[in-house]
Amino acid sequence: MVPKRVLIVDDSKLIHKMFEMMLRPYELVHALDGREGLQKLAAHTDIDLILLDINMPNMNGLEFLAEIKRNAAFAELPVIIVSTEGKEEDAERALEAGASAYITKPFRSEQVLAKIADLPTPGGASEAS
Amino acid sequence: MTNEPRPGEVELDPTEIVAELQSALQRAAELLHALQTRVPPQPPRRTGAPGVDQIDQLKQRLDAAEADLTELSDRLVDTENQRGRLMNLYVATYQLHATLDLAEVNATIAEIARDLLGAERFVLLLREEEGDACEVALAEGVSTEDGGLYAGGRYSGGDSLVDRTLADGVLRTDGDGSSEALAVVPLRVQGAVVGAVVLLKLFDHKPALTAEDRDLLDLLAAHAASALFAAQVYSRTDRKLRTLESLVKLVR
Repeated sequence: MVPKRVLIVDDSKLIHKMFEMMLRPYELVHALDGREGLQKLAAHTDIDLILLDINMPNMNGLEFLAEIKRNAAFAELPVIIVSTEGKEEDAERALEAGASAYITKPFRSEQVLAKIADLPTPGGASEAS
Repeated sequence: MTNEPRPGEVELDPTEIVAELQSALQRAAELLHALQTRVPPQPPRRTGAPGVDQIDQLKQRLDAAEADLTELSDRLVDTENQRGRLMNLYVATYQLHATLDLAEVNATIAEIARDLLGAERFVLLLREEEGDACEVALAEGVSTEDGGLYAGGRYSGGDSLVDRTLADGVLRTDGDGSSEALAVVPLRVQGAVVGAVVLLKLFDHKPALTAEDRDLLDLLAAHAASALFAAQVYSRTDRKLRTLESLVKLVR
């Protein structure tokens, strides 16, 4: 998949800066918690990928994920979880809730880029492999 | 049937025909020669299986190509690692110096420890202005309310690795059984040790600190203290300025 506009929902400004460096070709929209993430989604209807942290104030990543899966307009959006929670059950819970992929922090840029490339294109197979 | 020419036909002299044929053959020979001198000589066609020498040569070339490929792959991986390492260092430095707000500098130090180094439990110690004790300016995964070395938000000594680093300003990543710390990063300003970042535990999915992490720890030692110091100075100056402004307002 080649996304054009990516929403980053993470309370770490360091991570936002990291994604800015890593995802230079893409247009990024930033949110510092789930609640702000929902506002940004409503304001930017052309977002086609979400990179989401789990532990955040106000509204955490899983609550945000549940909200967007309830909304038909955003339910199909691919979501990659990027979290410090590294237990297998954390990843399983996120994937069951509708996340497309799960990456643990600290991460390497190639991990993120590979997960993005592996995402299926709308109505088609993944571009990788 | 006779060989008499039919009406309208020209009778040919056999000697003329032979002469024409000879002339045509000569021209053909000349053309052939010209073509041979222009076209590079072709190797003889293989008539059977390649010889043993040729197979050996091909194997050698294949081995050399595979070795080149392996070397290139290794160099690509090294380059990717280097790029990732430099990106981490750049982002960490950028964020540390992006603000003069003390709380934000503390938050950035916490983000470097958690998101880049993979530390689950860590503390930031800052020397108190008087005495040798340190204030716990930041603690993650560590309770400062229960007992322990960091109780009450103060550290007064007791961990050998932390104490040695606070004394000599040397970065230590060789935590042993005698210390609770995995790594202790001194915070130095103008040669003086003003505090330390103490990493106590990594996330379970991060097995150990790597050589790349060592670069980040070095960066923290060099930049975290100056960022904290600048933020503290700015905070004090700003507070004084506000006090003076209030006084001026009162006087007016």
